[in-house]
Amino acid sequence: MAGLELLSDQGYRVDGRRAGELRKIQARMGVFAQADGSAYIEQGNTKALAVVYGPHEIRGSRARALPDRALVNCQYSSATFSTGERKRRPHGDRKSCEMGLQLRQTFEAAILTQLHPRSQIDIYVQVLQADGGTYAACVNAATLAVLDAGIPMRDFVCACSAGFVDGTALADLSHVEEAAGGPQLAMALLPASGQIALLEMDARLHEDHLERVLEAAARAARDVHTLLDRVVRQHVREASILLGD
Amino acid sequence: MAAGFKTVEPLEYYRRFLKENCRPDGRELGEFRATTVNVGSISTADGSALVKLGNTAVICGVKAEFATPPPDAPNKGYVVPNVDLPPLCSSRFRSGPPGEEAQVASQFVADVIENSQMIRKEDLCISPGKLAWVLYCDLICLDCDGNILDACTFALLAALRNVQLPEVTINEETALAEVNLKKKSHLNIRTHPVATSFAVFDEGRWADRGQAAGLREPGGHQTQGGEEADGRSLQEYEAQVNHHISKPDL
Repeated sequence: MAGLELLSDQGYRVDGRRAGELRKIQARMGVFAQADGSAYIEQGNTKALAVVYGPHEIRGSRARALPDRALVNCQYSSATFSTGERKRRPHGDRKSCEMGLQLRQTFEAAILTQLHPRSQIDIYVQVLQADGGTYAACVNAATLAVLDAGIPMRDFVCACSAGFVDGTALADLSHVEEAAGGPQLAMALLPASGQIALLEMDARLHEDHLERVLEAAARAARDVHTLLDRVVRQHVREASILLGD
Repeated sequence: MAAGFKTVEPLEYYRRFLKENCRPDGRELGEFRATTVNVGSISTADGSALVKLGNTAVICGVKAEFATPPPDAPNKGYVVPNVDLPPLCSSRFRSGPPGEEAQVASQFVADVIENSQMIRKEDLCISPGKLAWVLYCDLICLDCDGNILDACTFALLAALRNVQLPEVTINEETALAEVNLKKKSHLNIRTHPVATSFAVFDEGRWADRGQAAGLREPGGHQTQGGEEADGRSLQEYEAQVNHHISKPDL
């Protein structure tokens, strides 16, 4: 499909959004009964769910237990039917391991692990449909799930992807935009303090443009935060009605 | 206090309920949990369905690909089911290669497809000896609260009903397959197998074993897929399943 215009002259993207506009986000907390905390999020067509077990005793070798803080164990799995081409290995492959590691780094920065020494917190993320921005959707879902499990965190962790096309920074890339081959950046932000939990880019981008792309990603992450905050408040309101407070 | 008693004396706990002919969650012995089905939510899959049996949630995604038919059956396609019980569905499961329960479930689903003949493999053949469809049916359990097999069977059936395959013609000159994405048709599902699991506890019989019914009593045994416990409630369950299945396809 030669000449697919990612950004039209009037400033519209392939799916009709503006440059800094996010896709529609719908999220729900407490969707599964077995887990300590769970959440489901849809960002456009990307559907991800996150499940948290913990804090509980360390599984496997006790030697891995950290004496002063909790161990955060993240696993990423994407369903075989989540992409256009069937994915042969849902978990255990390099990309899943890398994602798991990135999620772990992100959440070790946000969760107050010193409050639970010698224990383990498991975060499992499952992507049901991937349409770009899978890392961001996973982080957002995992934040909600960790909150649902009642594990204390420094702040929300809100993530968004950003790209750069024709001198304009785009926020929240879809699969079509990711596949076009331009630079893409994934950022996980703690909104209140503006601290970055994780920043990842593997493409070539001129440093003059970096500022603008970071700015776009941070603004988008803050918009995500507004939404997630609303979801959490709604959930707490419903839960307190049920408990009769 | 009830939670403490349940931990210390689980068998006695269940016997107390059984005496009143009901179960800890208030159900009758032959009653099934509320069942919900959601079809066609995953657009990257050729067919998908999410089934919730009470708290047990299973999602099935079907992807269709091309393959050469097996040499001993050149006019047949393939249906490949796979059940995944990831650690997210329950703290019982560990990450790593598929455990025993997952492999047993996969084999069970494969047997159900084979024995019920719900799809004729001949329908999946495009060009005998050269090209056929292979349907990869991947079932992922999202929440394991007992009765996985029933949920998997139901999800598989709903997903297969949702599958739409494009028309494929073999170009005579180039011998390549031409896919017409604009013309899609549903699969021909010939039978609708419904799975119901039963357990035998002491003398009574339970349908739709929840997580709690995974007990082994010394001297007793558990049976699965045995005779019908209560014809009325089985019909109700079947009616519920048929109602969901016979909804107009999307």
